[in-house]
Amino acid sequence: MRKLLQLLETIGAVFAFFLDVLQIAATRPRYVGEMLRIMAVLVRRCIIPVGLAVAPIGAVISLQGLDIFRMFGLDRMLSSLLGTAIFREYSPALASVMVAAQAGSSIAARVGTMKVRGQIDALAVMSVDPMRYVVVPGVIACMLVTPLLDVMTNVLGVFSGWLFAVPLGGVDHGAFMEHLTAQVTPADLWVGMGKCMIFGTAVGLLAGYLGINTKGGAEAVGKAANDTVVYTIVIILVVDYVVSMALLGVGI
Amino acid sequence: MGPLLRHMYEAGVGSVGLLTILTLFAGLNLSVQSYATFERFGGQDFLGMFAGVGGVRELYPVMAAVVCGARIGANLAAALANMKISEQVEALEVMAIDPMRHLVAPRLWAVTLALPILCGYANVVGIGASYLGAVGQLGLDGGTFVSQLHEFVGLLDLGVGMFKGLIFGWLVALISCFHGYRALKKEGAEGVGVATNRAIVHGAVMCILLNLVISWVLYG
Repeated sequence: MRKLLQLLETIGAVFAFFLDVLQIAATRPRYVGEMLRIMAVLVRRCIIPVGLAVAPIGAVISLQGLDIFRMFGLDRMLSSLLGTAIFREYSPALASVMVAAQAGSSIAARVGTMKVRGQIDALAVMSVDPMRYVVVPGVIACMLVTPLLDVMTNVLGVFSGWLFAVPLGGVDHGAFMEHLTAQVTPADLWVGMGKCMIFGTAVGLLAGYLGINTKGGAEAVGKAANDTVVYTIVIILVVDYVVSMALLGVGI
Repeated sequence: MGPLLRHMYEAGVGSVGLLTILTLFAGLNLSVQSYATFERFGGQDFLGMFAGVGGVRELYPVMAAVVCGARIGANLAAALANMKISEQVEALEVMAIDPMRHLVAPRLWAVTLALPILCGYANVVGIGASYLGAVGQLGLDGGTFVSQLHEFVGLLDLGVGMFKGLIFGWLVALISCFHGYRALKKEGAEGVGVATNRAIVHGAVMCILLNLVISWVLYG
């Protein structure tokens, strides 16, 4: 019971934190330079792990899907399954999980280190709002970088799927491309990128919240970084399911 | 044996709650999203096969490896790096206790043995969740789902899933112990953070890449 209350309290605190971030992001002054700097760091640090993690997924879908589709003589349709699965589901979810593992944990560690060293309080003393200068640029950077990475992983995932279907699996290239372009619509891309924006915001928000609430020493910083990764993965999967249900209901 | 069992308990039982929540939603989502895809060409009835084959062979083992890898690997790397920077490892060496044998080996064995069990558990929860999603939410016929599952998912597939778990467990433990053990004293607390971060990211990427290789060899 006490654990449940604690959980509810934490959820409430994160929600209040989210409202704070929204309010600060809507008002001046904005530290755009700081945000761009964080974005550049995130892209540089994430691009290789995210690419390496998502690219094999397309290949696996082709590998397994081809087996199944062959049974019904539908192997020309493989690309429509591959395209929708990559664009709508696997690329956004997995890219966000990797952003959480790489960027989320490093943001939480950075903010947490600043906190335990007293740099956050020092900022406040200099009448620079630490939320405004440290947390909000990180949240916005995550929100913008994740969809960008998603576009890259879409291309990589479909390419690796093509590689395993056409040259290695013996599907006709023309049929593959035809079903891909016929079934995958811009709506699929927007759905994926929209999900990525939500997931990216969750990554930045949790990293900021756990980072700025770090208490104690080096171990607490490590714990904040770990917790960011684990909790964000939970949030990503739960939100993913809710969004999928909602989209199915609306019929997009 | 004592340390081995303790590490297995920490890694395995400690991850069950997290894994249950995640597999539940991943299984539900697998049903919902493949329904949305298959509906486009009228193949809803094959949902059971798709959720079974895709889930048991690929999704659940990889997810268990990435998620438990993130949790277990980070703990391993942080623990070892902490011991390294506080010179506990050197202290063991002074007492003529081999730190590799005493610290690294039990952790490596524990995670290698715990992850296949977690993968098997994830398979069960995931299939149950897929059934719930397909029958309870989407209103598909339960009998069709089960017969599809029965026809296309065999014991062999479950075995492959657990075999993947064994390989992933070994890989995650090896990578985390490597990064944890490599932390240097002069790096201090930051070294611990770097080691855990690398353990999580390298572990996840290597598991996903190796999954493709194993699937290619077995099913390609």
